[in-house]
Amino acid sequence: MGIEAVFAGPELLSILGLGISTTLVMILLGFLMGITVGATPGLAGPMVMAIALPILISIFGFSQDAFLPVMGFLIGIMKGATVGGAVPAILFNTPGTPDAYMTTLDGHPMARRGQAREALRVAHFSSASGDTFSDVVLVLCAPFLAVLVERYLDLPEKTGLFILSLAFIAAVIGNSVGKGLISMGLGLLAAMVATGEDFYPRLTLGVQELSGGFPIAAAILGVLILGEVFKALEDLRHEKRDGAKPQRAPATVEAQRPIGLTRLFPYILRSSVIGTAIGALPGIGSTLAATLGYTSAKARHTRTKAPTDPDFGEGAPEGVAATEAANSSVSGANLIPVLSLGIPGNTAAVFLILGMESIGGFNPGPGVFRVPGDGINPELVLAFGLFTAMFVTNGLNWTIGGLFMRAVGIMSRVPKDVLLPVVLLLTLTAIYVQETSMAAMWVAVAFGVLGYLMRRVDMSPLPFVIAFILGGKLEETARQAFSATGGDPLFLFTNPLAAVFVALSAIVILLNLRRRG
Amino acid sequence: MFRRLSSDTWLGLLACFLALLLIFVWIPLDTETGLIERVRRQVTLGDSLGPTVAAGILLLGGLLTVLRPDAGGRRLHVQNWRWIAMIIAVVGGALVLMRFVGPWLVELFGTTPYRDLRATPPWSYAGFMLGGTYAIATLVALARGRLTVSAVILGLVTSVAIALFYDLPFDDLQLPPNGDV
Repeated sequence: MGIEAVFAGPELLSILGLGISTTLVMILLGFLMGITVGATPGLAGPMVMAIALPILISIFGFSQDAFLPVMGFLIGIMKGATVGGAVPAILFNTPGTPDAYMTTLDGHPMARRGQAREALRVAHFSSASGDTFSDVVLVLCAPFLAVLVERYLDLPEKTGLFILSLAFIAAVIGNSVGKGLISMGLGLLAAMVATGEDFYPRLTLGVQELSGGFPIAAAILGVLILGEVFKALEDLRHEKRDGAKPQRAPATVEAQRPIGLTRLFPYILRSSVIGTAIGALPGIGSTLAATLGYTSAKARHTRTKAPTDPDFGEGAPEGVAATEAANSSVSGANLIPVLSLGIPGNTAAVFLILGMESIGGFNPGPGVFRVPGDGINPELVLAFGLFTAMFVTNGLNWTIGGLFMRAVGIMSRVPKDVLLPVVLLLTLTAIYVQETSMAAMWVAVAFGVLGYLMRRVDMSPLPFVIAFILGGKLEETARQAFSATGGDPLFLFTNPLAAVFVALSAIVILLNLRRRG
Repeated sequence: MFRRLSSDTWLGLLACFLALLLIFVWIPLDTETGLIERVRRQVTLGDSLGPTVAAGILLLGGLLTVLRPDAGGRRLHVQNWRWIAMIIAVVGGALVLMRFVGPWLVELFGTTPYRDLRATPPWSYAGFMLGGTYAIATLVALARGRLTVSAVILGLVTSVAIALFYDLPFDDLQLPPNGDV
């Protein structure tokens, strides 16, 4: 039924008498936009997902029919941006997205040797392979994990699982466990403002405008997008003042012998496994996946390469393949914690959850995969619709992705000093359109300042955002668990599995503290 | 003595101070119920518990940052504060223009209240276009280190494009400040 919901949903157009559903068209548009965005240094998939969301909701409304077209578009952007990030990395030595940095190390030397077309072909093939692998794992694992959670975890254990996820995110993101915890504490605090069960809106200092809490879109877009824009503009200003210019050696295109893709299979497979495993863990992003995939491939390549083959860092196609397979295989797997636990793992997943919550009717978490005794669980249909959308995007990636990648190389030339202010205005407008309140724009700017300061002191804003999203759910689950255990204040320690989760939270923090400080 | 403290230590101390302020002053004064409440023989979690847990995490993070500061960690410099002050002035100025220019113009040139004209061009676009042009032109100028005519034209064209993009196809979407007035 999920497949049917995608292919046989409301029809948008007809080609040769064959009806094309709105969802399919939206997936295609999102995917093409994603590649374009990825190919534009300074833009990132989540930025465009955030800007697009209010427009999509305005077009499709809040009904259940809106869910798959909107989410299909967002998934298309998420996947397309990862593929597109390789284009400027290879052609101009400028990663379009942070996770494409490692692609520059071998992709650009290949391009300078006259193998630009081949490097793009390798990047596309590896990216599409990694993406497909990850989606297969998603479909196999997410329902299984959700059923396990639903069957074996009661309210105290679910509370413990939330705590473990937050502890993991705070401990592994960024350079310092302490800063991760500060970021998370601030996010939880922001989530607590004006919520709660009392008539009086707590922590508002009596400010009437805060009595509804912080608008979720304004806070998230402020920290993630405006904070990044403020920082990137300052970096540009310093670059201009210091006279630093990005290294941009033009790529040359010469006729070269095509690179056999079969020799890349071991690298692609290993990186796909690494990327999928990392994507499934909340809080660890595609940049780390790319780094680990590249490092692991480098060790293998050094052992097995022929004397005439280029080393890693000197234009080895294996380097491009390993990086692209690893960063692309994150995008499917990061939906595993989203769909099975309701926990976003990275920035793109944050915006997918924001989309789901904005439309309503779909509460990501183990309940999604519940099979009722009679009738149909509409959330289950939508979940399988999402899986179908992921595979449709893969199909597009395999068929037209490579072609479109080569066409968007021009986007690398859009100057960042023009792009960033435009992104800022678009973001502020998107927030206003969604909230219809000037106060929301001010809130976004305030959170943007917070995001800027966090980045300047090397504190990741992602634990803040994830804690802000999960704070309400954590408190609600804890309240229910407390009531269900008859007011036992030690419910987290008297239930064995909950106690294990809490103990694991402490261990994760202590281990990371020993490792990184 | 304070000069020798690393930026991470300062950050940790600030987090600890905020956490203690929350636990001992802000939360008790600004929430209605305590940590655990008993209402008609039923025990429930009070509204103070969640914020107190958040403050506890903040305190733990602050303590860990103080005890294990990253010696090579980035420091906030005076120019960072100056930059963010400029950004607040520019973006804040743009929001003020967006909010008030339309109503000012209507007051100056018309007799009908702005509220009745907020869906009527050019009044409905005036604040957004001026505020948007100002924001983009000034931010481009800040990044480039000089204000150019091309930056102003870029700001104007982008603002018009965004205004038309949101306003023409979607009847239910409102540009700033038309939903507030």
